[in-house]
Amino acid sequence: MITLEGNDLTFRFPGVHQSAKSAIQFQRTLRIPDDGKHYPLPPGLGAFPLRHVEDFTDRVPESWRERAGVMMPLYQAEAMWISFRANGWSRGSYPCAVKIAAGKINAISGKAWKPDLDGSDRDYVVVPEQPWLDGFCVAKDVIRQFVAMPLGSGYSVEEQITGKPEHGGLQIIVYPMRREHYKALLRRRERTSVHMAATRARSGLLCRTAEPARAMGLAAGGRMRQQIYADPHGLDAWDQSISSRCFVVLVDAVQWREITGEAPPTKPPTAADYTKAGLPWFDYYAADLETLGGAQALTLVKSVAEMALEKGEQVMGSDGEVNPVTIISIGLGPGSKAPPKRERKH
Amino acid sequence: MTGFGDYVRMARSTRAETDVRFSLRQVAQRIGVEPAYLSKVERSLVAPPSEATIVRLATDLGEDSDVLLALAGKVGSDLQAIILRRPKQFAELIRQLKNAPDHALLKVVREVRDGKW
Repeated sequence: MITLEGNDLTFRFPGVHQSAKSAIQFQRTLRIPDDGKHYPLPPGLGAFPLRHVEDFTDRVPESWRERAGVMMPLYQAEAMWISFRANGWSRGSYPCAVKIAAGKINAISGKAWKPDLDGSDRDYVVVPEQPWLDGFCVAKDVIRQFVAMPLGSGYSVEEQITGKPEHGGLQIIVYPMRREHYKALLRRRERTSVHMAATRARSGLLCRTAEPARAMGLAAGGRMRQQIYADPHGLDAWDQSISSRCFVVLVDAVQWREITGEAPPTKPPTAADYTKAGLPWFDYYAADLETLGGAQALTLVKSVAEMALEKGEQVMGSDGEVNPVTIISIGLGPGSKAPPKRERKH
Repeated sequence: MTGFGDYVRMARSTRAETDVRFSLRQVAQRIGVEPAYLSKVERSLVAPPSEATIVRLATDLGEDSDVLLALAGKVGSDLQAIILRRPKQFAELIRQLKNAPDHALLKVVREVRDGKW
């Protein structure tokens, strides 16, 4: 079952185990420059608000009503990252396998959406080992940042790979670890006292006219250093007889008030302004975990900047020169008891 | 049951073991109180802080604000507002569910609906 708890999308599997719970949050962040450099992890600037789509059925298109799920506001060219949190930062944390797709294109493998877990594709992340996902996996330890662009403009990864602006948004499916594997894992944790962990850390003009609600898709932004960890438990560890899935509609933030009656979040600062203020970036690594390589299909995707240049369009402001100086390294290893924090006060 | 101060001290000091940003001084600074005051709160020498401060503290420590508020003997103002809008129905609902096991409570929470996609 999935519930909305504040701005957390919470997945629970009480039929598998009382502790089988995992939460996902979408974090506002800086858009890193797309200038060929590899940037460290930008901060979290607060969670995007999430709302049930079915609460606004008279103000959203039929296709959104059919998909149901939740929705959140993003400005054009705004970046975001996904935060995963297992149930508790302790030896009791319950592992889950999570598949993430944008426009029904898997963010890890670049392949079309497939709900089931298949070890050969290695197209899912494991929580709590994977604390965050900031973008599409384009090379080993390198991702291209998730950046929102209007669906239909041709920029999204979905449109570049399939040629059609059909789905947009984000698609998520979560599988819990099998109960017996979890019990065995708890026994191993007791013996080794190794605590792997879940995570939590690290204005546009309002549209006055009643335009149809516009969906956004996720495009590829600048390059960032981020490790995507392979499944350390093996495919057999996951209970594929049960799963929970959710469609997350990305709404153009300038239409958020029109649909929900609530103000959208303000636009985040630029990466250049943030860095000039001496504020920190982050590097994260987990010793002893195998990392995945990039997906062939995703390496061929053009970034927003590359495509804008090709189309002769101005779709986002200048990113300016950014040289992160203050970089906080977070490494998790045996004995870690607390979640890495990457969120800033705002 | 663990007291508010003990719980906060344990949550903060556990994080401080691996992250210096969770020192008493830095946490106090981020949530907008004096370190000496936070120290007294952790040692239960003063009453728990205001709701707004508890929510900031919960956010900073990655803890559930409802749990921290409950430990401080408070109910969030958002929950109060919800109850006050339909006091009779919510009072009855809470009384009906007071002894229900957790799995039964989960059956009455609102689920995110999944559709066709």
